[in-house]
Formats: sequence, C-alpha cells, structure tokens
Amino acid sequence: MYEVNYHKAKDVKDAVKLMGKAEDGKLMSGGQTLIPTMKQRLAAPSDLVDISSIADLKGVKVEGGKITIGAATTHAEVASNKKLQKACSGIASLAGHIGDPHVRHKGTIGGSIANNDPAADYPSAMVALNASIKTNKRTLSADKFFVGMFETALNEGEVVVSVSFDKPKKSAYAKFPNPASRYAMAGVFVAKLADNSVRVGVTGAGADGVFRHKGMEKALSAKFNADALAGISVAEDDMLSDIHGDGAYRANLVKVMAKKAVNAAG
Amino acid sequence: MKETAFYDPTNFTFPAGCYICEVEIDPDTGKTEIVQFTASDDFGTIINPMIVEGQVHGGLVQGIGQALLEQAVYSDDGQLLTGSYMDYTMPRADDVPSFQVSHESTVCPGNPLGIKGCGEAGAIGSPPAVINAITNAIGHENISMPATPSKVWAAIQASNFKQAAE
Repeated sequence: MYEVNYHKAKDVKDAVKLMGKAEDGKLMSGGQTLIPTMKQRLAAPSDLVDISSIADLKGVKVEGGKITIGAATTHAEVASNKKLQKACSGIASLAGHIGDPHVRHKGTIGGSIANNDPAADYPSAMVALNASIKTNKRTLSADKFFVGMFETALNEGEVVVSVSFDKPKKSAYAKFPNPASRYAMAGVFVAKLADNSVRVGVTGAGADGVFRHKGMEKALSAKFNADALAGISVAEDDMLSDIHGDGAYRANLVKVMAKKAVNAAG
Repeated sequence: MKETAFYDPTNFTFPAGCYICEVEIDPDTGKTEIVQFTASDDFGTIINPMIVEGQVHGGLVQGIGQALLEQAVYSDDGQLLTGSYMDYTMPRADDVPSFQVSHESTVCPGNPLGIKGCGEAGAIGSPPAVINAITNAIGHENISMPATPSKVWAAIQASNFKQAAE
C-alpha cells in the first residue's frame, strides 16, 4: 500500500469539504473493496475520507410501507434487523450472504452500490425493488443510478446518503457463488411490488453489470410462478465470459437462479 | 579420486488402499457436492494414528482440490489469470465432507519397524475416486480436471443425462 492521508468525516458536509481539499481523494465506508485494492497497489488515492461513523448515514427504518436504509449501514445490520426481515426478507437474506462475517460487519450498502461491482449483490436488489438512491444533492432511481461496470451516475462531491423503497409484497434473492471468490456468478433478485408489478434484477452475469430482465418481469407479472419462466431465454451474448464460465453457462445460471428466487419468494 | 555409490534397497514399501467417493450433482448448475468419502489404507505399522489420519485428511482435500477446484490459468499472452484467491479456488472446509478413514495393518517386511509411507496416499487416491464418481453420475467420461461446475454442466448438456435413482 502507498502512503495515504486518513480523515474521519464528522458529517456529510465535512466529507464533501475534505474531498474538495484532497488532491485525489476517495470516500471510504467499510473499505472492504477499497482497502484490498489499495493493498494490491491497484488504487493509490492521496486521501481517504472515512464516512463510516457519520450517525446520519446509519440505521434501518421501517415506517408504514416505506423502508429506508442509511448508506453507512453494515450488511450485518441489514441482515439481522428484525423489522426488515419481516418487511423485506429478500434484502435481509441477501445481506446475510455477502462475503464472510468480517466483510458483513464492515462493508456497507452505500459503499457497495457506489462501487457498483458487476458481481456485487446489492445492485440487483436496488433495481428489483425500484429503490430510490438519495445523495446529498438529489434523489435518483436505481435504474438511473447504475450506469455500467463499476460506474454510477454519481458526480464529484456527491455522497450516497440512503436508499429507500416501498415494502414489496414478495421478495427473494438467489445466487450462484463463484467457487473461488464466492462473489455472485449469477445473482437474481425477484420482487413483487406493492402495485403487483414484478421486477427482476440480475447481478454477476451481465457484461455491463447489473440489469433487469424484462422478459422474466413480464412473464412473472402475469403469473408469479417458477413455471412461468420455462420459455424465457437469456441472451448469451450479453453475459460475462471468463475462466469460471462462458456466456452460455451464465445465461443458464440466470434462469436457474431466477426460478430459485421465485420459489423462495413463495 | 572419483567414487560412485548406488543404494538399491532390497525392498520398497508399498502402501495400498481403496477410496470410495459418492457425489451429488445439481444438473441445473453442474455443481458437484461430495456427500460421502471413505478412505481405507494399509500403512503397515502405525506409530501415531492421529497424525496418520490427519495426513490422510490433508491428502484427500488436496486431491479433491485437484479434481474439482484448483487450476492455474494463463492468458494467451502469458499473464497469470488465477493470481489471487479471487480466481484460484483453494479448497475450503465447506468443499469437503466429514471423511471416513480406516486402516488395515499388514506389517511391512522391508524395514525393522514394519512401516509404510502415508504422506501422499490421500492425494493420489482421491482425484480418480472423485472423477470416477462424476463420470458415473453424468453418464460419460469426457471430463477433465478440475471438474468445475461450468465444465460439468457443459458435459451434462452434451450427454444423455438421466437423473440418478435414489
């Protein structure tokens, strides 16, 4: 790791100020991707601005039909929140299967979505739940927030504050982990929303990162049942292909995981 | 002055054993799960059974890693693609079952202690046991190590796979 200046931000305003002053600053939440990347010298920011202890960014709120999760809320907190487990079991169970216990107690939802790793779990839940991503400047829909691999709509000086979504009627997530890294090779989040529409978010498999599968959404909106997915095809050419699996294999996994998620959602 | 010496022992030690592996394969994903693994070896006189059993466990895991998980992959221009544990699949505790290990003891006549080698036994016997179980399950033999989920899935697609009976 190269030398770096560490700052602990008091609040979001302070974080933005510290970032403005830094030559090449990076916001850090749990640091579960950033720190290993820096250790491998693949990233060398001049300054780290730690936002993980800003109280306003932490916590899960379930009020009426609305769920809000602070950006600096850890995966472990999301996984173990009783109200959330009841209101949206899909996202609680997703969080409970991210990485390992160490990662889950440090890593945060804001960090995960701002990084937008193509194999990260949370982005699929955000698009499937039609979540709104609130930053210090504006509120964006998840569809607009995730732009491509490791790419989001976030501008400089913009900090993710929270994510919110309406309590879904049903939700579940199923992933096939990469045998080595245990990141998703295909992770599918299925949600039946309050208005009975169905959304399907896919992570790990797409060549451009997280995506929605409109064909599955249409089929499941008509009939929320794994059998409804029988005739649906997933385009191989849109899939990632690497040493762990080619496009055909990943396209198959997307379908298999989608069925699994629908069955789990009940 | 020049001198050459060559030692040819009158008798080597020959440990022998039999390994039996039972797998379950998910035909939808190609993922192999080892549900049972039994290893029976004849290591001659065993001085410390616990150490010997541990040695067998370690060898089995290494062999299972070779059969199912581990591979060094290079790109066409010579870059190592499996340079970290993000891509190189080291076997982990949840990749293996609880092993059943047993021993026979035929005293080796070739040395005063009656002992035989045991260090490599586990790693030698386990890859063929695992791969034979997979080829038996999927109904054809064209599968190379490591039999990763994507490879097994592709092999299943190419074969007349029939779901195994109970």
